[in-house]
Amino acid sequence: MDAMSSSDLGALFGAWRTTFAEQRDYLISLDGKVGDSDLGITMAKAFAAAADAVAAVTAIAPISKILITAGAAMAKAAPSTMGTLTATGFMRGGKALEGAGALGVREAALFWRAYGNGIAERGKAKVGDKTILDVIDPIARTLEGTAEAGGRLANALAAAAVAAEEALESTKSMLAQHGKAAAFQEKSVGHQDAGATVGVLMIQTMRDFAISRSDAVRSQADDQAAFGSETSGGSLS
Amino acid sequence: MKKFLNEAVDFVDEMLDGIYLAHPQLTFVNDDKRCMVVARRRSGKVGIATGGGSGHLPLFLGYVGEGMLDGAAVGGVFQSPSAEQMNEVTKAIDQGAGVLYVYGNYSGDLINFDMAAELSDLDGIAVRQVVGNDDVASSVVGEEHKRRGVAGIVFVFKAAGAAAAEGLPLDEVTRIADKARARTRTMGVALSSCVVPEIGHATFSIGEDEMEIGMGIHGEPGISRQPLAKADKVVDEMMGRIFAEQPLGQGDEVAVLVNGLGGTAKEELYILFRRVSQLLTERGARVKHVWIGEYATSMEMAGASISILHLDEELDRLIGAPADTPFFSHRNA
Repeated sequence: MDAMSSSDLGALFGAWRTTFAEQRDYLISLDGKVGDSDLGITMAKAFAAAADAVAAVTAIAPISKILITAGAAMAKAAPSTMGTLTATGFMRGGKALEGAGALGVREAALFWRAYGNGIAERGKAKVGDKTILDVIDPIARTLEGTAEAGGRLANALAAAAVAAEEALESTKSMLAQHGKAAAFQEKSVGHQDAGATVGVLMIQTMRDFAISRSDAVRSQADDQAAFGSETSGGSLS
Repeated sequence: MKKFLNEAVDFVDEMLDGIYLAHPQLTFVNDDKRCMVVARRRSGKVGIATGGGSGHLPLFLGYVGEGMLDGAAVGGVFQSPSAEQMNEVTKAIDQGAGVLYVYGNYSGDLINFDMAAELSDLDGIAVRQVVGNDDVASSVVGEEHKRRGVAGIVFVFKAAGAAAAEGLPLDEVTRIADKARARTRTMGVALSSCVVPEIGHATFSIGEDEMEIGMGIHGEPGISRQPLAKADKVVDEMMGRIFAEQPLGQGDEVAVLVNGLGGTAKEELYILFRRVSQLLTERGARVKHVWIGEYATSMEMAGASISILHLDEELDRLIGAPADTPFFSHRNA
């Protein structure tokens, strides 16, 4: 898959909704180690509200508008700190894609960079503080690198997911600087950051979605080749 | 700690019920009692909104009324209200001239007001923000942006509210609010802890014979814990820290707010003001406006804060302008 269109975004948000509903209890238990245990609830609510809101806007709405709508819905449904930060990420990511007709590698890089900048600004956090930014930054950097080299979206997202997974692992050795976890700085060492886990789940879901769409496109192409479609078959003979 | 309560979980909402019953000039929007606005809105006026946790009355909602604020989003005890509630208040008070947010420098409030501003922007409402950071004790000079907003924010409400009532445009009201913010310094001292109703016991412990200089209004630790000294000596130490940042002298004019934190008699506040007045007079500075009482409390915490606003001609006029809210009223002298 080289790019997602507006109509793909509805399905992507559906996939995110499923992921965060399935991972709700896992996130609750992660957050419960040093936080206040509400992260799984917050994220499940936020992505469910976003999926509903995106489903309600027309499939041909601009990508920018779809993402901003998702963010605004999250802000309303999940007003805790992480809910508001996630909402901010989507709203800023949406603003960064104003005028974009499709979401390719370059646009994905712009989205994740703006997503991270929005959270950094609103949450007054920086890379290394043991937050979601510690995975967003490598995601954005990987996508920016691939965009320059001109890669395919599914491959680029797969590389970004690997970078995010490695970055999540390294949050284990960091000291928490924000939220309730900051009150237990030393205790937070050894645990992967719960917020950063959210970032990894987001990029993994985005990757799986892009790959499944690519497979679907490829099998469609294979079908066409096997049955010898009139246009391509004719010109080859 | 003994409290008048039905159920602790109903503390905020039953308090709000009482306020709406007592003060029909206040109402709420979006079927949410925690989104408070003035019942009568004046067309074309810049709207001013605040918000923050409950447990600080008369801060924040107590200043909603004539000549001050148009709305307040109310949170649980010491908890930020949501961005959605702030956005609802914003939509209700916007009269086409935009809305100014004035609130304290606390992470939950910052995140939510900032988000509310973004949501309001999507609705086409111009929003500006001024974040109170008057608490000298909460960070050093050069790191003022990290300081908490405490009782001194009342001066910002007063100046901005008067400017909006004069019909000034949003950018002017914002400039004035920001000037009042920048020229206000507060120092506080706590003698006992607050009790959050749903928790039911003291937030921190402090000895009968001790005081904590610079305590925050949610029980955040202060600068130093010391044996309780005589009132004049306590004021000397507090004012010393304020004078270090506001070198007030001959010809300077100030507004003074001596604020009780909820568990201190007004008599004691006047004893504190006596010394504040002596120290200012010794320097040749003149007290133009003075308020003594409870303006920003921390539940039943015993203690007090002193806020000094260094006036200029414009702030003098606005601080002295009439205002009338259920918890604060001021007439032209």
